[in-house]
Amino acid sequence: MLGRRDGAASSVVPLDRDRPLVEAARRDPAQFDALYRKYLAQVYAFALYELADHHAAEDATERTFLRALAALPRFREQARAEDGPDASTFRVWLFRIARNTIANERRARRRRPAASLEVALGAGLAIADGSDLETEAVTRDEASAALRTLQSLPDDRRRALLLRFVDEMTTAEIAGVLGRSEGAVRVLIHRALRDVARRLDTTR
Amino acid sequence: MTGPRLPERDTTQVDALIADRYLDALLAAADRRAGDAPSDAALDPAIRDAVRVLRAALVRVHPSFRFEDRLAARLAALAAAQAGDARAAAGGGVVPFPASLGGDADLDAILDGDLDPAADDDAGAGTDRRPLLVTGAITSAALSLAGVAWVAWRASRPAARRSAMGRAARTAHERRASAIAGLGGPA
Repeated sequence: MLGRRDGAASSVVPLDRDRPLVEAARRDPAQFDALYRKYLAQVYAFALYELADHHAAEDATERTFLRALAALPRFREQARAEDGPDASTFRVWLFRIARNTIANERRARRRRPAASLEVALGAGLAIADGSDLETEAVTRDEASAALRTLQSLPDDRRRALLLRFVDEMTTAEIAGVLGRSEGAVRVLIHRALRDVARRLDTTR
Repeated sequence: MTGPRLPERDTTQVDALIADRYLDALLAAADRRAGDAPSDAALDPAIRDAVRVLRAALVRVHPSFRFEDRLAARLAALAAAQAGDARAAAGGGVVPFPASLGGDADLDAILDGDLDPAADDDAGAGTDRRPLLVTGAITSAALSLAGVAWVAWRASRPAARRSAMGRAARTAHERRASAIAGLGGPA
């Protein structure tokens, strides 16, 4: 998709913030390293919360990036002007690969007992973030209840919530990853929040 | 007097939109490192509380640097192989694909252009391409194994000789053999 033209100036404005990195990687696959370093933590975090297993998360992350590099020549940018300057359809495309890879892994692990997210995230669960005064009042019991609820949510609700909170995606990006409309994603997240709220209410 | 009430579906969408805007405002505040939480009187306090707890519970995580470097090396090897393939296609020599990158059937299919890694494959059981293939493979294997076991079981069971079909087959075979013998053919 071509970028929009600004008035008399004929310079093309990239719509996808990752376009320069993607184009560099297409010219020289070794340049894919920049995209890998940029999104490694986000993909790994998504996999870890989804699989609740450090090793499985590493495997899924590895497969995601190997597949992305192999398929990069076939990636098609689809950014729109209304998506704003921060839109990255590459990120959406990458997370669709991650979502499919992780979903396959979850299917393969379905017979195993579900692991605890708290254990997967480490014994010392980081509860408070010093930069956010509001989070300081959260207790360990509340955080545990929230994580347990998260693991019990239906697949799309759980994924939407993770992409919103952990990967800080916009509703439009999540819609692209999950293949749903933005309205559907908003309702998915709202229902997930209500589930968490109900669980917190019974915990107290 | 009360105004017209929205259908429940519309109410859900309005509530979802309010929660979405609140989350957008929270993310924007975090981006500019503002300590103040946005206020929205229309937002259900229980939802606001759930958001507060989730933001604290869903901590950011990063893989080990050892893993990061190992995967970077694998990607570099794959990138080198891809660059080598491109050179070979442009008239250079043939560069073999590193064997260490093999072992992933999906990756092989992607490299062959047979599989789009971003295509939906878990939209539902009825439309799930890969599980259907896997299920088919398992079913075929199971049928084959069952067939072998059944033949072995039948061969080892004397009772099988008493079946109606078996008796009819043997009678036909014996009549044919005796007719051939009567004609002076091979006994």
